[in-house]
Amino acid sequence: MRKLYAVAALLSLFGIADALYLTIEHVTGQSVRCTIISGCSEVLSSPYAVMAGIPLAAIGAAAYFTVFSLAILALFGYRIAGKLLLPLVGAMFLISLWLIYLQAFVIREFCQYCLLSAAITLALFVVVFINRRFRG
Amino acid sequence: MKRILPFIIILVVLGAALGSAWYLTRTIPASPALGSQSVATPATQGSPVAQQQQPAVQGVPGADPPHVIGPANAPVRLEEFGDFECPPCGIFHPILEQMNAEFGDKLSITFREFPLVPTHQHALAAASAAEAAGLQGKFWDMHDLLYEHQNDWKKEFDVRPIFEGYAKQIGLDVDRYKRDMNGDLVAQRIFADGKRGHSLGVKGTPTVFINGREVPFENLPAEKLRVVIQNELRSSGR
Repeated sequence: MRKLYAVAALLSLFGIADALYLTIEHVTGQSVRCTIISGCSEVLSSPYAVMAGIPLAAIGAAAYFTVFSLAILALFGYRIAGKLLLPLVGAMFLISLWLIYLQAFVIREFCQYCLLSAAITLALFVVVFINRRFRG
Repeated sequence: MKRILPFIIILVVLGAALGSAWYLTRTIPASPALGSQSVATPATQGSPVAQQQQPAVQGVPGADPPHVIGPANAPVRLEEFGDFECPPCGIFHPILEQMNAEFGDKLSITFREFPLVPTHQHALAAASAAEAAGLQGKFWDMHDLLYEHQNDWKKEFDVRPIFEGYAKQIGLDVDRYKRDMNGDLVAQRIFADGKRGHSLGVKGTPTVFINGREVPFENLPAEKLRVVIQNELRSSGR
């Protein structure tokens, strides 16, 4: 089941790219203007997009990077990394659910790249969960 | 080697991520001319809004005659590319009204249609409504209503009855308005404004030019825009 760690690593790479993109949009203020490509993103310009002064997207990028590191380490036989993966991805999954709730019912606008991130996290959760299951 | 390899991979990915983030934040800013022009004009005031001296751009002409408030020969000529469904444009609307009240005849304001069609489902209908009202000399009345009531219509399925209500409210000949909405003249005006926008490199809304130079988006809040206009007035010597 080691291959699944490679899948998790690949997924988290997409997560890093997605979250980095969102961070850049947020930081450069592109998200505040309406454009043909990215829409208006009321989501990124909302107060929920920032936590303690740090863009949520940047925290997401760091989280995906941590998942990537752990998955790569686990792939190369570092047991402890594999064990840490499930709680981390589980927490990210719960946070993603919360963010989807915020988009659907509080901000009432969806942001495509935020939803993509949630989908990646869901896939990561499934992969990591199956991996732990088969092992134990 | 096998024990170090994962760390190498991790470091490479970290480097690639940070590197691309650094690269993209350097190139994305709306006005790429900013970096070079601050070298070209070393003496501009140190204030954050002083970075305004980009080369003026011409672009192809837009719809003729344009919708303008204020004298055509005003020392400061502001041109906005807007989309009635765009929330930041709605926020910008009262700021422009405030500038108009503060600067009076020294400032002229031109509105250009830039409906972001795939993003905003009703943007084209709203632009058409404003242009159709314009054919009866009431562009700005419709413009104001559309922006002020943006939240009342942008989530609706069918906006036509709402816009017809506005047409009635501002005293338009509603039958003519309905015909004009779908007429060639309105479509051509919107197309011409869009062409002008594209020729000026407009990618999003609101995009604002003052005397032909793009105002960076971060300078659009009232307190910064005021300084930009004042600087422009000073350099025009009036």
